[in-house]
Amino acid sequence: MGEEIKTFKDLNKEVVERGICGKCGGCVSFCSAGELDALEMGKNEVPQYINEDNCLKCGICYLICPQTDTLNVELQEKFGWKPPIGDYERITSAQTMDKRIRQICTDGGVVTSLLLYLLERNLINGAIVSKKIGRFARKAIVARTPDELIEAAGSTFSGSLHLEELGGKYTTYTPVLSTVKSLEKGYLHDIAVVGTPCQINAIRKMQCLGVIPAHLIKYAIGLFCIENFSFDDAAREMLEKKLDVNLEKIVKLNIKDDFIISLTKGVTIHVPLEEVHEVARPACFTCKDFSNEYADISVGGLGSPDGYTTTLIRTKVGASVYDGALRDGYIQERIFKDAEESRIEKTKMTAKIVSFAGRKRIRAEKKLSKLAGGERLGGKA
Amino acid sequence: MEEKPKPVLVIGGGIAGIQAALDLGDMGIEVHLVERKPAIGGRMAQLDKTFPTNDCSICILSPKLADCFRHPNITLHTLSEVKNSTGQKGDFLVKLRKYARFVKEDECINCGECAAKCPVKVSDEFDMGLRKREAIYPYYLQGVPAVMTIDRENCLYLTRDVCRICENFCSRNAIDFEQKDTDVTLHVGAIIVATGFDPFDPSGISQYGYKRYRNVITSLEYERLICASGPTGGHLTRPSDKNPVENIAFIQCVGSRDLKNNRYCSSVCCMHATKEAMLAYEHNTKVKSHIFYMDLRAAGKGFQKYVARGQREYNISYIRGRIAKITEDRNESPIVWYENTQSSKTEKMTVDLAVLATSLVPRKGVEELAKVLGVDLDEYNFFKTDALNPLDTTKPGIFVCGCCREPTDIPESVAQASGAAERAAETVMR
Repeated sequence: MGEEIKTFKDLNKEVVERGICGKCGGCVSFCSAGELDALEMGKNEVPQYINEDNCLKCGICYLICPQTDTLNVELQEKFGWKPPIGDYERITSAQTMDKRIRQICTDGGVVTSLLLYLLERNLINGAIVSKKIGRFARKAIVARTPDELIEAAGSTFSGSLHLEELGGKYTTYTPVLSTVKSLEKGYLHDIAVVGTPCQINAIRKMQCLGVIPAHLIKYAIGLFCIENFSFDDAAREMLEKKLDVNLEKIVKLNIKDDFIISLTKGVTIHVPLEEVHEVARPACFTCKDFSNEYADISVGGLGSPDGYTTTLIRTKVGASVYDGALRDGYIQERIFKDAEESRIEKTKMTAKIVSFAGRKRIRAEKKLSKLAGGERLGGKA
Repeated sequence: MEEKPKPVLVIGGGIAGIQAALDLGDMGIEVHLVERKPAIGGRMAQLDKTFPTNDCSICILSPKLADCFRHPNITLHTLSEVKNSTGQKGDFLVKLRKYARFVKEDECINCGECAAKCPVKVSDEFDMGLRKREAIYPYYLQGVPAVMTIDRENCLYLTRDVCRICENFCSRNAIDFEQKDTDVTLHVGAIIVATGFDPFDPSGISQYGYKRYRNVITSLEYERLICASGPTGGHLTRPSDKNPVENIAFIQCVGSRDLKNNRYCSSVCCMHATKEAMLAYEHNTKVKSHIFYMDLRAAGKGFQKYVARGQREYNISYIRGRIAKITEDRNESPIVWYENTQSSKTEKMTVDLAVLATSLVPRKGVEELAKVLGVDLDEYNFFKTDALNPLDTTKPGIFVCGCCREPTDIPESVAQASGAAERAAETVMR
């Protein structure tokens, strides 16, 4: 039937070897969920063959990769995508009503509160979240109970570095998709996932095809994402020198308008994003999605005052979760003086998101045109 | 030497069509049995038990499926539809479209290796969407013919040119993506229509909250839930939290005897609600069932006794009253609001599960079929018949039996099928 199917060989050539693999783990999670056992996450967390002979050349890994374009038009149609930041029903600024969550959250604690609502209302029986296990080490876990959820959100640093960090590897990125594959064996169905745009994109592409393991994912909560960081000891030294901080003293990292480092003793440093670009993951520079355009709900601190989360409610599913959590007192919305102030503030929030989205898109287009063989991937898009 | 009688075409492979085909086959008449789905069995195959004997539905149906399959006079055409028909009584030319299965029926041994490896998951129609299945699948466990089918809407190779994973795991090389849809022309002397029913979709009756409340389900969904081969393995649990069910409201006449929906009585619901309540009690003797009815219609053989037994031995209470609305509490337990017309009081009751006895409506596509055959439908889209020729359609040589004629229970459908078979035989044997 016509042209040759593009397989992992092509994916390896066009994505991994070009250095733009986002390490989302989508291809591996599909391959291992089907027990096809051809792919694994290799060193540096990039996908590689376990055994090339096991590869059935089905071509599905190529289609679901966030760095290939083949399914993008279909996704755009399915989600009614429109410029500049995708479709959304409304934008709000909200915060958690839960005291425990308020103490530990990055912004307004909306994500954890929405997940808590979903768990307590039996709308999911697990949520894949990222658990801090060190200053620069996170691990994806499946939270099945409210306590597990809050524990994951709130893990404080133990003081010592995590094992991975001892090896001189630091990253702020959590490979959540590799956790998805193990769900069905744990008799879990109806899962919520919190992820970066590339992770949500891979999930949506899998759902477009209707393939495992993404059929278990009922809710996709997306994080705003300008970039994630990944660096080694040499870069760390350079960074510490440049910023004049000891990374050991960091208690919280966040990106809003700039890079925000909270240190012990309540000291906060703001660093322009350009200063830290050199430790960002290379794949992030080719990603065009800041606002997580295919999530059910997209969230981030950008545009909201401290203690609040900017929330874009995109899909019907997203609206049902948000409205339910609001109705049942899990979250509350920021109160404005009057309709006029609300309108102005929401316009400001939207403008900020649009501006960041534009910056990221332009950056990606520049980077892609510079890359060897700069044309976008996925021939028949 | 006597001339061999012309074959008979039976449209619909449910219990009525199967019975008609078997009777005709046994009379020595050649039969073509056409079924749109990948396997014969119809709605009866989806039921857990049958009233008024509480026999296991598939256990009494399966032998008939097998008989049909191996009967020398019956040819099965599954995944097939009637596309055209010309001619008259004694001499019809019928065109069938046989859709490709993409699996060789002679080679497939139904081992399931392909389905175990298929990466696609879609909602399963046979289990009323309560479970997911793969894109290569058995229509149901006991389905006949016992072979896999590839769902062309969802198979990644047929829709997007990728995958073909199943081929790698089929030890019989039974998967054949080269299969094409074919047209077959049959020359038959008579036609029997037995296309059955669809359950009415109650989401339009918004006050009952179907699809809005997870613990409000339809009776056919209930049949799958309580069936040992169903999505929960026969454990009757609440869809919302998987907790065991102990208190059930059965709500009758949902879409039936209703000026806004279907005015007719669906005839089987009083009895199947009684049966379903008995089954819940058999699973767990803590269960208390409440059947909310307008009139209790137990007009078949042994039916009144069955209802009395339900009240006496199965902890069922019958409450006369039409449900005004259903709401839910914080645990998602349905609250039913009604006027008890025996005490003339408005009351409400909180239950674990509410089961809507949805009315029986003609199968989707029945208007098109009637047009192709040139027969009339009545005001509700059931096939039109008259009082003294209850199994004859408006066109000579075309007969009708089962739920496409009007809502009918299993014993009655079987009786009608034998009657229609006799009418058809009479036509082709003269």
